[in-house]
Amino acid sequence: MDRSTDAQIVERVLRGDAELYAELVQRYRDRYARYALHMLGNREDAEEALQDAFTRAYRSLARCEDPERFGAWLFRILVNRCRTMGARRGRRLRTFVSDDLALYEAAEDHPAERNAWREEIERALGRLRPEQREAFLLKYVEELGYDEISRLTGAGVSALKMRVMRACDRLRELLSDVVDDREVREERGLPEVNDARHT
Amino acid sequence: MWIQRVIAELRRPVRMDDEFDRNVMSVVRSLPRHRYGTWARALRPRTITVRPLLPSVAAVFLLAVALSLGHAIGTLRAARRTRTRSDVAADRAASARVTTRRAVQFVLVAPTARKVQVVGDFNDWDASHDEFRAEHRGGGVWSVTAAVPEGNHRYSFVVDDSLWVVDPTAPRVIDDNYGMPNSALLVEGGDAGR
Repeated sequence: MDRSTDAQIVERVLRGDAELYAELVQRYRDRYARYALHMLGNREDAEEALQDAFTRAYRSLARCEDPERFGAWLFRILVNRCRTMGARRGRRLRTFVSDDLALYEAAEDHPAERNAWREEIERALGRLRPEQREAFLLKYVEELGYDEISRLTGAGVSALKMRVMRACDRLRELLSDVVDDREVREERGLPEVNDARHT
Repeated sequence: MWIQRVIAELRRPVRMDDEFDRNVMSVVRSLPRHRYGTWARALRPRTITVRPLLPSVAAVFLLAVALSLGHAIGTLRAARRTRTRSDVAADRAASARVTTRRAVQFVLVAPTARKVQVVGDFNDWDASHDEFRAEHRGGGVWSVTAAVPEGNHRYSFVVDDSLWVVDPTAPRVIDDNYGMPNSALLVEGGDAGR
């Protein structure tokens, strides 16, 4: 593995060493494939969006103003590609199937249960409004701050907070069948149900 | 807490295979190689957005600056090493890529919209550019005047950050990549036209 910084690699690629771009692809493909997969809901679209982002980034590499932050710049391109693809394919059903799970690293414990849980989550994610899904993933999965998300998406911070809150509410609603009822009650500060029928 | 379990699951690593790398690099190899050196990169011509009221003056100025820089870069390089004719041609082509922009007015009637944005190949389909954000002019009419490079373009309106709408007053074209309709825009020298 090349230990050069992103900026050094960008500089060499811009001097004509196109093969070195493969190093940047390897550095960022897995990290960003996760976002594309969750955002678009299936492997095929995620790979297409990610590939498109990498090739657009290569074409525009000379316009990358801060090569040290190549990863952040690439991610911005990817977020836009996912938005565009998601909007254009909005009518297409998200087709998250078991095959897509192959993208995940192998689960070390209870693989069948784990896969079922993942599928439930992906299904619920797919039923969120795109802007809510985007805000939720950027905030909690990619762990970006609201200011950074705002710069990335063009949406205001208060609007983003609202989207994240609604996404959480909706996910809780959609996953209510698989989430332990006690967990939900504890979180909401509700008392436990004392159901006499079971006593 | 249930939400922590959901987040933990979503944060699990995803792994792409080597075929993905091969596909990307295959496209990269088919594209023209970059030929910027350090100085050329620092002084390279940049495409910038100009105010719609001053497009001609600004564009001529930028073109002159870009051509001067291209010439200066060429001189610097010649002093350091022998250049091929193709290198010179590539630098000149890069300098000439500073295109003239023309003011174009985009109008959409959308009475129930809360936000209208113009996206197209001229802003990389990015809905976060303020200069392409339409203002509500009353009566459900939204419009924005923005600087667009001369040439053929494809564009669309994005309403309320989610709904893509083609311009009902412009010719439609099918996007080759996605099979979806967009609006066609031809920006010509002199007067901008749609």
